[in-house]
Amino acid sequence: MSAGTIGPGALLAPWRRTPLATLGLYGHFVRLAFLKFLAYRLRYYTGVVSYTVFVAGHYYLYLALYAGRAAEGLPAQIGGLTVREMVTYVAVSWIGRSLYFNNISRDLARMVTEGEIAMHLIKPFHLQSVMMAEAVGEAGFRLLMFTLPIMVVVAPLFGVGAPVDAAALGWTLVSFTLSLVIYSQLGFLVGCLAFVMKNIQGVLRAQMVGMDFLTGVIVPFTFFPGWFQSVVAWLPFQCIGYVPVMIYLGKRQGADLAQGLLLQVGWALVLGVAARLVWRRATRRLTVQGG
Amino acid sequence: MDAGTTRFAAAGARPLPARLAWQARIFGAYFVQFLKMRLAYRMDFLVDTLAVGFSLLIQLAVLGVLFGKVSALDGWNFPQVLFIYGFSLVPLGLFNLVSVNLYGFADEYLIGGRFDRVLLRPVGSLAQVIFESFNVSGLNEILLGLAVMVHAGRELGWKLGAGFGVQDLMVLAVLAPGAALVYLGVFLALTTVSFWFEDKMGLAPPVYNLIRFSRYPITIYSLPVRVFLTFVLPFAWVAFYPAAWFVGGPHLAKVALLTPLVGAVVFGGAVLLWRRGVRNYVSTGS
Repeated sequence: MSAGTIGPGALLAPWRRTPLATLGLYGHFVRLAFLKFLAYRLRYYTGVVSYTVFVAGHYYLYLALYAGRAAEGLPAQIGGLTVREMVTYVAVSWIGRSLYFNNISRDLARMVTEGEIAMHLIKPFHLQSVMMAEAVGEAGFRLLMFTLPIMVVVAPLFGVGAPVDAAALGWTLVSFTLSLVIYSQLGFLVGCLAFVMKNIQGVLRAQMVGMDFLTGVIVPFTFFPGWFQSVVAWLPFQCIGYVPVMIYLGKRQGADLAQGLLLQVGWALVLGVAARLVWRRATRRLTVQGG
Repeated sequence: MDAGTTRFAAAGARPLPARLAWQARIFGAYFVQFLKMRLAYRMDFLVDTLAVGFSLLIQLAVLGVLFGKVSALDGWNFPQVLFIYGFSLVPLGLFNLVSVNLYGFADEYLIGGRFDRVLLRPVGSLAQVIFESFNVSGLNEILLGLAVMVHAGRELGWKLGAGFGVQDLMVLAVLAPGAALVYLGVFLALTTVSFWFEDKMGLAPPVYNLIRFSRYPITIYSLPVRVFLTFVLPFAWVAFYPAAWFVGGPHLAKVALLTPLVGAVVFGGAVLLWRRGVRNYVSTGS
């Protein structure tokens, strides 16, 4: 902290921090989260096996689906995807998920139900920003120790297609980074439900199950009937999984690409602001009993 | 407590059937006790029912979408796959009902020291650990699984007495618990590992994640995967093989009847491991 902020009461007033100090503060949380997850890296070795299992299961399922189509004399493309593209879709979806996934909703819900939240409220930072910073640190760890190993295992095993060009790969990375922000803010919002609900376990379970479906990780949206696709188009979930994978496959180029990325930025902002508003309301009427 | 002590002492000397009946009474009491505790949280059960229903709905939507694109997956049509899926929920529900303590076993019982108390009691240690807590949401899975099976059966044109007889019901009543034993055996074996070394890697999650792929006809997988699921990590026996009695044709129907045997072997092996683990157990003293 800069010398100017020192004085009675000043340390507790975050708005007196210089922007640079704020950046440094949250930067610390990024670093700490990275180191924390590094300590638990052994758990991620079995995670690599898990993700390989996910990809393998869907790989065989879709191969059987496309083979069935061929046997019945139906067109070889389903929802605009060939069988090769479908395999790539599955693999890239799960590889991306290994990067943006985190447990913000669960962690926040636990803090609220166990009363630990009180200790965070008296500290001179905003918990939403702290959790986002920690998510970035975690993602950094995941990228190096989890996502890359998964890529190394999955790509040759299932013959995952290369990106259409270098630019597509770059934009995919940008897009998955935005997925991380959207996923985290959505998780924060879900976690905030713990302020009003006595039992949030059911919601968290529904989130676990629903997310992979709604983000398009399990089935691409183009497989669904039109009405479902138009509903999904108005929801933030497609910006987490579906949009970046479509960019990777080269299905979104030029204006379409820009539109997809802008949509992601838009949802990241909307959810971030919504989470801040919900947080403000919730912490105003919060009662912590002991804790 | 004098009368109680003599009753416990005498229990060991009783003949096996009487001992089993006595144990069953004890664990019945455990269950009633647990239900009483849970009734204080009725909302939990409701929320959980909704979560299980939601998850089921999504799975059905996925199957529905896939079968909107093709009429048969490797020769298996929609009602058949639906039936396998519905069947898979029944053993899974049975397993979930009693498996909650297995996940936290290393932390709560071994490191937390609860296992000392278990060993002091004159009832089998494994049975105590398994029956000390229940996951009532398993009942949801069983009921929803049965509902899906009934629906799939209707789609297949079965009626009670025509296509689906009393014999089939009896087979179901034997195969479903047999398949649940496969689950229990696999996860029990993974749990017993913590008697020897601290599981820093988390062996159970990848195995658990494999379950969702045991619900599809395993003929869609390549030969190595099929061999793996049949003989190494026998998840083919938790849904596909037993369900094949009903939807799999005459050859696979015979294979289906092996399910209880596989369940007994897997579970029996896990119990032997457990016994060795208990002998190896050293209290943390906490």
